[in-house]
Amino acid sequence: MTDKVRIAQLACGPEYSGVQKEINDAAAAVGAEIFFPDIALSDVKRDLTLFGLDVRSPDLKLAIARAKELVEGRIEADAVFIATCFRCAEAAIVRNELRRYIVEHSTLPVVSYSFTERTTSGTLLTRMEALTTIARRRALLAREVQEGLTLGLDSGSATTKAIVMQDNRIIGKGWLPTIEVLKSAEDAIALALAEAGVSREEIQAVGTTGYGRYLVGQHIHADLIQEELTVNSKGAVFLADHQHGPCTVIDIGGMDNKAITVHDGIPGTFTMGGICAGASGRFLEMTAKRLGVEITELGPLAIKGLSTRVPMNSYCIVFGTQSLVNALAAGSTREDVAAAACHSVAEQVFEQQLQEVDIKEPVIMVGGTSLISGLVHAMGTLLQTEILVPIHSQHIGAVGSALLASGFIREKR
Amino acid sequence: MKEYRPKYQGTHTVYVFVESPDVTPQDLSLRAYEAAPDLMIKETCFGLQITGAPERVAEVVATLRALDPSHIFVKDRGFPPGDPRRCRANMGGARPGFFGHEYELSLIRFISGGLEALARREAGDSALDALERKKKKPLDPDRLKTIFDAQEPSHG
Amino acid sequence: MAKIFIYPTTSLILSDMVARFGHEPLGAALGIRERIQTAGFDSPPLQVTPEEPKKGLRWAAVEVPSGVRGRMAILGPLIDHAEAAIIINDADLAFGCMGCARTNELLLFLLRHRGIPVLDLTYPRSEEEGEIFVAAIREFLEKLPKGGKAE
Repeated sequence: MTDKVRIAQLACGPEYSGVQKEINDAAAAVGAEIFFPDIALSDVKRDLTLFGLDVRSPDLKLAIARAKELVEGRIEADAVFIATCFRCAEAAIVRNELRRYIVEHSTLPVVSYSFTERTTSGTLLTRMEALTTIARRRALLAREVQEGLTLGLDSGSATTKAIVMQDNRIIGKGWLPTIEVLKSAEDAIALALAEAGVSREEIQAVGTTGYGRYLVGQHIHADLIQEELTVNSKGAVFLADHQHGPCTVIDIGGMDNKAITVHDGIPGTFTMGGICAGASGRFLEMTAKRLGVEITELGPLAIKGLSTRVPMNSYCIVFGTQSLVNALAAGSTREDVAAAACHSVAEQVFEQQLQEVDIKEPVIMVGGTSLISGLVHAMGTLLQTEILVPIHSQHIGAVGSALLASGFIREKR
Repeated sequence: MKEYRPKYQGTHTVYVFVESPDVTPQDLSLRAYEAAPDLMIKETCFGLQITGAPERVAEVVATLRALDPSHIFVKDRGFPPGDPRRCRANMGGARPGFFGHEYELSLIRFISGGLEALARREAGDSALDALERKKKKPLDPDRLKTIFDAQEPSHG
Repeated sequence: MAKIFIYPTTSLILSDMVARFGHEPLGAALGIRERIQTAGFDSPPLQVTPEEPKKGLRWAAVEVPSGVRGRMAILGPLIDHAEAAIIINDADLAFGCMGCARTNELLLFLLRHRGIPVLDLTYPRSEEEGEIFVAAIREFLEKLPKGGKAE
């Protein structure tokens, strides 16, 4: 058995919010353990002056000193977890500055999170899993070429995607709405296998990702069950043919959004959010429905409109829909409303999540929403860059899974 | 959700710190073992932790304080000694309270001095008045002039 | 014997002084002890469960961070019971229960708002200051009548 991945916690508040156990449980579930870097009071005084951020809260002072000891190598860790209370301005400043400081001055993977008393280990699990994978499974993530015949399955909150790959090429695809997790997975796999013209028995290795990854993974005896942050990063750089150097991957999903900075195909920092549906693919689905178009038609419709003509910027799906209905009632065109909806989602993601990662170009958008051209356009305008949308971008997780799963073929022989 | 069943219900735990030229933590523990065979005693680098029935803990604390009243300090603790939730071995680093103690111990000699000086204080010499005077004390004119002079440019 | 709220609530010096001069120090240890010794759902390390920040709504509104409300659930009841308070105003290096500046600001406000006798101090940094510090605490406590009310 390998040693546990040691995650250093820099925090203010979890013990008093009743969520320290949740953090510990999430870490334990992925073979990691949380620890508090051991420092002395003299370190706190010295490091605080050197770091130069004069905060009032003593526990934040402690977090700063601990970060400095980690970065300067006086304390060893495999990864860093920064956690502070949601809605605390002082802590938000420290959280962001520490994350940036650690990323710039060390190779430690880091994830930051702002919790409430409602935060559960389930919410933290994917982040912890990604953190431990980046820390300990770099060999797995180093894979750039798909070998043999493999299957990747992405059981997402909105859709289920299956991909069959052979010798670094996609030969079969399946894409279905997620209804019953297992049934949708089986059906998507059947579609992909049929298109590839191969049987289930011929498949040499299987990988799963997405919300349903554990359930489906166990059901279909997957060789690799892996969270979507690292898998999507691999899938994105593979499909965009950008396996080396820096890039940023943005995935606006059905239930949550991911923004990941990637270097040589390996995630560096990432944020994952999903508190409010106004900033998700769901809102665009609702918009399409209200405008009486298919989701595939929403993008082209939005490109023809002008978002500035319609006020819409709510992170709440209910308020967002209200703005939409009001705008239509006030006589706005469907094109302008579609454009405003795309801009609104892009703006929420930009304001709430992209501020927490340092955007590195090229920016690659993936997932089903990357096919909505209006959304990609809005995001590009906000980030002032041309956004890359690779072919098959909606299958990103399944492609990443199939690619990474091929690492398990040799092991099985 | 896992159920929590507390241990040591109804007990009190206290820290006993010793910062003395005459009494070592070892002396303190020897005295504690004699005085309290019925209590749980844990030796530490700074002194002791004592756990037991509240009245008994209070009695033993009084006995220990008598060893060197101005150099022995006592504080309540929420956890029983060696609790894995607060133990450095499990947490990787010290519990947050440790740093606070470390800070106050760096000033404790002034407290010891203050305790020793209590006996010498004259009746009617109010420390509260002294505190007030200190807060309201205006700046001495000579001191003010020194500050002004220091600000003057050396030439021109 | 009066109940004296100590600030910082984790202070070794204040806890000792108050008890030494015959009164009951109300500090964070009491609130933590209560939780550690009460059965319920497991929530290490402090046995502060997600219910505590909800109890903290009595002292701070829902938009106040959970860490403030959780700390208030531990320390707020102690303020309610306090008959007097001793405050060290330059306690910048007290952590854990005292680790959040916003909570500390609220604690100080609530203490002063209650109208109980309050002794304001700073940490002593010389022998002379040490003498006044200790003597002032003794004098302050002696002036509290047996029932704990101010003169």
